[in-house]
Amino acid sequence: MPMWLDLAFKIKHGLIAFEKLIAASSLMLLLALTMFQLIARNFFDTGFSHMDIVTRHLILFIIFMGAALVSEQNRHIKIDVLSHFLTPSQQEKLIRPLIFFSAIISGVFAWYSVGFWLDEWQYASANERWSVYLALIIPAGFIILSLHLFLLTITGLEQHQVKQKPLPHCSCSNFK
Amino acid sequence: MIFLVILLILIAFIGAPLFTIMGAGGLLASHSAELDPVVLIIEMYRLASQPNLIAIPLFTFAGMILASGGGTKRLIKLFNALLGWMPGGLAIVTIMSCSAFTAFTGASGVTIIALGALLYPLLEHARYRDRFCLGLLTTSGSLGLLFPPSMAILLYGIVSGVSIDELFLSGMIPGLLLLLMLSVFSFFSAEKLHIESQKFSWPRMVSALRDSIWDIMLPILILIGIFGGFVTITEVAALTAAYVLVLETVITKKIHLTRDLPHILIDTTTLVGSILIILGMAMGLTNLLIDSQLPMKLLAVVEEHVDSQLQFLLLLNLFLLIVGAMMDIFSAIVVVVPLIMPLAARYNIEPVHLGIIFLANLEIGYMTPPVGINLFIASQRFGQPILKLFRATFPFLMIMLIWLLLISYIPFLSTWWQTP
Repeated sequence: MPMWLDLAFKIKHGLIAFEKLIAASSLMLLLALTMFQLIARNFFDTGFSHMDIVTRHLILFIIFMGAALVSEQNRHIKIDVLSHFLTPSQQEKLIRPLIFFSAIISGVFAWYSVGFWLDEWQYASANERWSVYLALIIPAGFIILSLHLFLLTITGLEQHQVKQKPLPHCSCSNFK
Repeated sequence: MIFLVILLILIAFIGAPLFTIMGAGGLLASHSAELDPVVLIIEMYRLASQPNLIAIPLFTFAGMILASGGGTKRLIKLFNALLGWMPGGLAIVTIMSCSAFTAFTGASGVTIIALGALLYPLLEHARYRDRFCLGLLTTSGSLGLLFPPSMAILLYGIVSGVSIDELFLSGMIPGLLLLLMLSVFSFFSAEKLHIESQKFSWPRMVSALRDSIWDIMLPILILIGIFGGFVTITEVAALTAAYVLVLETVITKKIHLTRDLPHILIDTTTLVGSILIILGMAMGLTNLLIDSQLPMKLLAVVEEHVDSQLQFLLLLNLFLLIVGAMMDIFSAIVVVVPLIMPLAARYNIEPVHLGIIFLANLEIGYMTPPVGINLFIASQRFGQPILKLFRATFPFLMIMLIWLLLISYIPFLSTWWQTP
């Protein structure tokens, strides 16, 4: 394997580990904060508005990291009506160009979301700045998604995932 | 522009992820409207302010924990003790347990994968015909979509702006009616095949109840939470997730905190991410389409040819059945709902009734070719060709079509709870 390809694999595996860590901790944190708010509201008649803002941003963390991880498994939702009429080798030949197309679209969104974030930062009042930091997930999410898809275009799907016909959503490890 | 749209549709049909198609469509629409594409990002950010959105990952997490723990076995044991003594009992057990399970896991394919593996050998052992077993299990993969806390209903409520509590209430009778119709069919099929039922046993019933006492509390908790008005949908979702987590890690100890939980968390986020990224990307596109008066133009065309509510409902059913056969339920909700809401309002169709019709059509779409997802999952699970599975599901499909007509043309089944 050429060194640059080996490097691409290493970066991709590092990225996957990072995405998994953020995804899993965001979901646990979301559960913990929502439970905390529930107890505070029902038992102590109080609530923390800042916490609502955090939980609403956590959903974006989950969406972006989840979407990046699904790309790795080639299990994004598709309307692949025509692909069922293609032979497996034709389907396989289409995988990289389609991933590359997704990488470009995500890259374009990353570009515009950086502009969006800079605007948010510029017009936010001093006491709202902290929530603008949380909104960094939008450009960061698109950059990660785009990077993951670009790396996937280079490395291709790893063999066991190519052979496995994609299930629509479930990737439950226990049922494979 | 038309060339680019056609090209985009072609790319979608050969298998590009739907979220990128939505994104590219949004970029094209914003270019056509001479707007800065930043509007697409603003719409996506607005998604985060939807108050009920948090319920989706939390309910999904609860479903995933149940699927990975011992929930499936306990559920089958309980329903078998309760209903297994009836003629066609095991088939009815299949219908009930699959629908209860799907309500939690959101018809994501987990039902056929998890319960199919347990129920298929049981049904074969009871001497049900292979074709009946395959048809029943393939169909059962999407039953329960209308029951709380179905992810499809949550998503429909978020996209359409219809109250989620009201949607859950409206789905109860249509959902139960379908279970009843399929159970009656199973009853007569078992009679015809002379399938023997097991005898009712009190010790078995007591044992099943003892094993699943904590699971029985769960739907009670959810129903009281949603309809009692004590807590919000998001809080019910958090309570459910926390309850199930404690149940499977502390009480039944089927899930190990460090060995199993990280996998379940990641599986949940990938499932949620794959669905909600489409919603996020589509929000900008659908708003641009609405701003360009597309629904109004559609309405003008429909009004020219359709005079009555009855005609409109028939057309709607045909259209949604085609959509259901071509698209996944979650993407169909995101793409189609904003476009048909104004049309349905023009023909005086209650938004909650529209929601139930919409979801019922897509539930049927799960088992119709060319891309009925249940067919593909069942094909993979049971190692059978798609065509054989489609033939096997055909009687069930006919029953579901009759059910669809009933719930479409008798709005009272969905709106009974509304005061006149």
